Amino acid sequence: MTAADTAGGAAGADTGAHARADMIVCEGVSKWFGDFQALDGITATIAEREVVVVLGPSGSGKSTWIRCINHLEHHQEGRIVVDGVELTNDLRNIEQIRSEVGMVFQQFNLFPHLTVLGNITLAPIWVRKKPRREAEAAARALLERVGIPEQAEKYPGQLSGGQQQRVAIARALAMDPRVMLFDEPTSALDPEMIKEVLDVMKGLARSGMTMMVVTHEMGFAREVADRVVFMEEGQIVETGTPEHFFTSPAEDRTKQFLSQIL
Amino acid sequence: MADPHFGLERHDPEGFSLTAAVDSAPPDEPSLPVGEWLRKNLFSSPFNTVLTLVFTVVALAGLRGLLNFAFSEERNWDAVRVNLRLLFTQAYPEDQYIRVWVSVGIVVALSGLSLGLWARLSGVPVARVAMWSMTAGGLIALGVVLREPSAVSGPDGDPMRDAAGEVIRQSFGAAMGDRIWWWLAAAVLFGVGAGLWRGFEDERRRHTYVPTIPLVFGSLGVVVATLWLYRWGHYAFTGNEFVYEPDRTAALSTKLPWTVMWLLLMASWAAGRQGRGTPAEGRLKVLVNLAWLLSPFILFWVVLRDPAIDWAHVWSTDLPMAAGFVIGGGAVLYGLTRPGIGEVGRVIAVGLLAFAGFNWVAAFAGWYPMLQKARFGFLLLALAALLAPNFTGERAQRLRLVWGWAGAMTVVQYLVTMANTESTLNTPTSEFLGGFSVTLFVAVFTLIFSFPLGVLLALGRTSKLPIFRVLSTAYIEAMRGIPLITVLFFFANMLNLFLPQNMELGSVAAVTVGFSLFAAAYLAENVRGGLQAVGRSQYEASDAVGLTTVQRTMFIVLPQGLRVSIPPLVGQVISTFKETSLLAVIGIFDFLFLANRAIPSQSEFLGVKREGLLFVSIVYWIFAFSMSKYSQRLERRLGVGER
Repeated sequence: MTAADTAGGAAGADTGAHARADMIVCEGVSKWFGDFQALDGITATIAEREVVVVLGPSGSGKSTWIRCINHLEHHQEGRIVVDGVELTNDLRNIEQIRSEVGMVFQQFNLFPHLTVLGNITLAPIWVRKKPRREAEAAARALLERVGIPEQAEKYPGQLSGGQQQRVAIARALAMDPRVMLFDEPTSALDPEMIKEVLDVMKGLARSGMTMMVVTHEMGFAREVADRVVFMEEGQIVETGTPEHFFTSPAEDRTKQFLSQIL
Repeated sequence: MADPHFGLERHDPEGFSLTAAVDSAPPDEPSLPVGEWLRKNLFSSPFNTVLTLVFTVVALAGLRGLLNFAFSEERNWDAVRVNLRLLFTQAYPEDQYIRVWVSVGIVVALSGLSLGLWARLSGVPVARVAMWSMTAGGLIALGVVLREPSAVSGPDGDPMRDAAGEVIRQSFGAAMGDRIWWWLAAAVLFGVGAGLWRGFEDERRRHTYVPTIPLVFGSLGVVVATLWLYRWGHYAFTGNEFVYEPDRTAALSTKLPWTVMWLLLMASWAAGRQGRGTPAEGRLKVLVNLAWLLSPFILFWVVLRDPAIDWAHVWSTDLPMAAGFVIGGGAVLYGLTRPGIGEVGRVIAVGLLAFAGFNWVAAFAGWYPMLQKARFGFLLLALAALLAPNFTGERAQRLRLVWGWAGAMTVVQYLVTMANTESTLNTPTSEFLGGFSVTLFVAVFTLIFSFPLGVLLALGRTSKLPIFRVLSTAYIEAMRGIPLITVLFFFANMLNLFLPQNMELGSVAAVTVGFSLFAAAYLAENVRGGLQAVGRSQYEASDAVGLTTVQRTMFIVLPQGLRVSIPPLVGQVISTFKETSLLAVIGIFDFLFLANRAIPSQSEFLGVKREGLLFVSIVYWIFAFSMSKYSQRLERRLGVGER
């Protein structure tokens, strides 16, 4: 994850793709909430260092899907393999996967009783068993990276929404994850704060992080995504490069969706 | 952010001077002239006018009744004055009384240190001080007028009676004239208040602060000074004889210790204040907290009880056992925290727990003898072993657990040894505590024992594991369905029948166990309310960063949940404190029992009961009210209800 892969473009097609390992593999993943089927046979593979944006109308199952990947939701059918580890009900597998998958939530979900530094260092100290001093130094470096080094001693309640979301990103990064999942990271933000969060995410994508992003930010999808996945009613309708997706979508449902939002 | 209460800290964190913070405060609402205020708030409609008048009369009548009761010629307040020592410490031996003062002194010193270390230098606005002073003056004046005229005393000092046996009272004018000192006090208080009010113009009156600490210390100083100056009466033992001289100032054995306490309070406050902002501040705070936690055990079991240490036994049994647990247990824990230990560690920990549990089963069944201390030691070791997986990692991390274990074990072994050693005190009853001290003992230890148990029960009830949930729910519902007094009778009379051989609890200890088990059930429900206020998103966030269930509970759920449940928890502490008066019913010589039974059966004060009861109520009220005020401050500081 050191060298920036700025070539971007269609990750699935070029020759480099063969060198990349599969980071997330989903095969026939289905999930029901009671009688309602939220996911209906999702099959997709996400390669290492790939940035995938998941689009779709609300209720289409995009959040449910990425929440299944770190087992915040439990899928009833199909397989999910993250970095070679299959997600089963075995607690140890779940713990291992969670410590390798960072997650950023729509509502930030910071811990309100801990300082920014406390939020970021908690898991590295207690899950990764890092010495406190080392964890704090790493946390400060991360805050520098997301652009708010001066907020380390404050509490989340004292920060703006954009700053809180950047702390949340830093908190997830502090675990040195192999994959980052973003669940509508900018939906709860005021318009003027969206950019600062997206900029951080762009930087992250450029550094070669494997990312899965549920968002409504079309500009971000166009600029950063290697691949766009369009979902509706728990199914993947169409997958393609942003170029293909936004200019010449194949499916009618995709066209209809794009006509509504663009 | 404009909070007038904290203006002082912001502007002048160290100084004592009156400080204005006008610029940062919101503008005042214009205050209404008195006449308009009355019309708007009390006489706004004919119906409200009637309500106001009726309830004014009711309030005045109530106050008059209370004053007539408290200051009646028939009251014998000597019953309380003479028995003060009895009420607070019952028959604590005279020659050992210094132990009581040392205990009080330690508590006072800790309070002072805590105030110095933690409390902000807040202030009370001059406007409020002036209002307090004027209100106090007004109330005294009102009381002087309301109270019925005093009885005319006859030549023998008793009130004179007319032919019908009614007490002859002074004329109203004469009575008012006789109460000149009260008038004077009222006038001085009112005058000071009015002077302060006038001395500051409107805006500054509200935003100029009288620092709280000097205000409180000064008031306490005035009270202590009256012990030296005012003739409260001299009631004390001098030599072995009880001296009873109403016309002298308080006895030296009263005023000297309290003066020392007052000085100690100020000195420890200053020391705490000095420690603030120094590099050692964090460590000092930990030490003071630890001292608070240990002080009930040390004070009641060691200082007050004065155990007769049997050195032969200490060398032969106690010390070797303590060393064994500290060193052996430390080694076990060091091994269990080895990074790669994995499943083996959990198996060993569960094995230890099973062994510790079996020891207790064996104790109840009487299979093999073992010192109670060892049983507790093994149980604690098993619990520490279960925690060990959280401390795996590098050497420093592992050693932290080992040192924590060594410290805790040393303290536990020491205290249990002390508690098991016979007391040297020569007291008439089997208990060395009595009166208010037994009330405090039960209240404090109930709090200490019921809090962890209540939190565990609450966690159990909200747990995903059915066995914990069912057991906790059953326990909580069972306890909440039983009247407290039943629980107390059960524990006072029957607990020892259920305990293993060689283990007996005195009645006070047994009742404390009952109280703790009872309070824990209620506490659990309060804590559960707080735990449920922690949102799902917090659980998800902790899961997403990979915390284990135990870590999530310790670092995320409990800190947030307990913060929410502070107000009901303090309410519970207050009610437990008051409920200790039920001890009187089961025949323990507590505060209420002494006032209700012991004093009225003394030959000098036969049947004198009301004075004692009023005094007991006032003392209970002072403690309960202070706790309630403290909880309000705590709530504000922790920002409950706001994020």
